[in-house]
Amino acid sequence: MRKILTVARWEFAEKVKTKSFLISLLLTPAIIIAFTILPALLAGSEGDSTEVVGLIDQSGLFFNNIKAELEQYQIDGYQPAYLLVNFSTTGISLQELKKEADSMVIKGNIEGYLAVSRNGENYKLEYRSMNPGNLKHTKRFEKAFNNARIKFELNSSGLDPEVVGSILSNVDLKEIRLDKSGKENESGFLEIFFTSFIFIMILVLVILTSGGMLIRSVVEEKSNRLIEILVSSCTPEELLTGKILGLSSLALFQLLIWSTFGAALSGYNMIPASAFNNIGPMFIYFILGFLLYTALFVGIGSIVNTEQEAQQVTGYLSLLLLMPVVFAISTIENPDSELVKVLTYIPLTTPAVMLLKLNIKLVPLQELIITVSVLLFSIILIVYITARIFRIGILSYGKAPNVKQLIQWIKEK
Amino acid sequence: MLVSEHLRKEFKNVVAVDDISFQILPGKIFGLLGPNGAGKTTTIRIILNILKPTSGTVVFNGQNISSNLYNKIGYLPEERGLYKKSRVKDVISYFARLKNLSAKETVEKTAVWLKKLDIPNAAERKIQELSKGNQQKIQFIIAVIHNPELLVLDEPFAGFDPINQQIIRENILNFSKEGKVIILSTHQMETAEKLCDEILLVNKGKEILKGELSSIKKKFGGNFVKVGFKGDPGSISSCNSVRHMDSYNGYAEIQLQDEIPPPQFLREISSKVEISHFSVIEPTLNKIFIDSVKAGGSL
Repeated sequence: MRKILTVARWEFAEKVKTKSFLISLLLTPAIIIAFTILPALLAGSEGDSTEVVGLIDQSGLFFNNIKAELEQYQIDGYQPAYLLVNFSTTGISLQELKKEADSMVIKGNIEGYLAVSRNGENYKLEYRSMNPGNLKHTKRFEKAFNNARIKFELNSSGLDPEVVGSILSNVDLKEIRLDKSGKENESGFLEIFFTSFIFIMILVLVILTSGGMLIRSVVEEKSNRLIEILVSSCTPEELLTGKILGLSSLALFQLLIWSTFGAALSGYNMIPASAFNNIGPMFIYFILGFLLYTALFVGIGSIVNTEQEAQQVTGYLSLLLLMPVVFAISTIENPDSELVKVLTYIPLTTPAVMLLKLNIKLVPLQELIITVSVLLFSIILIVYITARIFRIGILSYGKAPNVKQLIQWIKEK
Repeated sequence: MLVSEHLRKEFKNVVAVDDISFQILPGKIFGLLGPNGAGKTTTIRIILNILKPTSGTVVFNGQNISSNLYNKIGYLPEERGLYKKSRVKDVISYFARLKNLSAKETVEKTAVWLKKLDIPNAAERKIQELSKGNQQKIQFIIAVIHNPELLVLDEPFAGFDPINQQIIRENILNFSKEGKVIILSTHQMETAEKLCDEILLVNKGKEILKGELSSIKKKFGGNFVKVGFKGDPGSISSCNSVRHMDSYNGYAEIQLQDEIPPPQFLREISSKVEISHFSVIEPTLNKIFIDSVKAGGSL
């Protein structure tokens, strides 16, 4: 036990001083912000300047209503986001108006313009711009036009304009998640995003950095033969356990620093406090997931010989790790789908899926017990297999073994 | 005392160690010699309990070799390397603590050894800031800091300049005086010749030659002479009495036919070349090594 602690202490003390630790400490939150919070902020925020948008509507029916609809969008709360300019002129054909407007778009006089035309009962709406792919703009234009059209049609069918207004008013849906005690929790998209997604991102990044460090340290010790002094001082099992323990403490230390900052930010309401509602079980899945992958990484580190090989294998493992992230959206959308059920019980994806699920729905106790048991069992199995591979792998140089050899190593007494 | 009996290690397609047995008494330096790939490293790994033998036993001071003995073993591997970016005292301390030294002992002994090896100010520096020779000294310290009962040194002098070789040699001899069991693996025969009490020569996993160095030399030393001369070396080597001759720079080392006494040979050649030196010599270990390995079989 004492030797395990000596190894663990060494791994922790040496790795905590490295540049890669410092980088990961600073970069991980940066990456998380870049991948999660930033797009959300950007999507929600307006551009810097008012967009000038033209409208060609030869019927003359919609200009005022569309203009009114677009006025709800503002930059910084006062400046209008859009300025709608009427291009409709009677006596000139739609074709010619469009030609003229097109040239204004190309010259940069306007961002783009909407062209309304009617073919019998059906309306046709075009948005012509150099940059028509901006979903935020086009969604709004579409909504504005349709609201204006419905309003016009309802009005012309003789309905009271006030009734029309109330029909058209939008109702937002608010999700309330009940917990066992019957307490209500608002769980909007943002909460799920903050808690689950960020936790998975942290898990992935922590595993990648610590796992990378672990592989590098084993590869280094193998290549300079320090491993031989080490295994003539302690057993391979002690060395393996010590390394996992040391790196896990390092990950926890990282987590501690981040949660301190997270809690501070939460105090400023930048992160919703409800994000920490399930912190207990989430922590358990986090640790178990970390241990599972770390054990895998050491095993791999012991069979490869060079950093390049190590990087290659780390690359593949990262893909495995990222799989739950790919499924994250569909899990949020439908936490009860068959796919999610299957992924829940595959050890490699269990931690990430559970991290997501915990915040979306009330997970039955039975499922918690089963998944934790599955994870614990897999960790024990992987550590056992890894230890057997490790003890032979660390002394094998040259070509990395194939599967057949690996099985032989596992069996060897 | 270290006793190894009938060690055998099979890998998938090769027998790396094939029936090797030896005993080493405390205070003796045991030379494990052999060409590259002879099975030296595998033998060492079995002794260190890094590898399990296919069959055979290693017993040290009455105990089967196991992880319980790790704290009594010191090992200097042939290929050197350290944690380059770490500080000297941290690295030494890590390995010392792994050998169960207390924190206090570790600090004290680190200072003592750094001083002994003439690098007293290295403690706070990073490994990569040290010269190659000094890095090797750190490795030597790691091997010996816990005052091991069994010391396994694989090519301990490789990479040292003559002055530092001398320092290391003295320290090895001190350990031997203190009654440690020392295994010295090398293919530098000069080193072995100067230090070892007993040797085991292995090739292709098998024992070729084993025993006290002095008696081995006697056994091989039948009929060697060294001659300093002026004249044509060919006129000496063409003599019937000469079985083998290596000549260099006006000197020749000559193995005579078994029945020829050296004085008779001296008379024979004195008429052919001008002789400045004549002595009867023991064969160098180097020569024994080369001859034995070439002969391939057991002797």
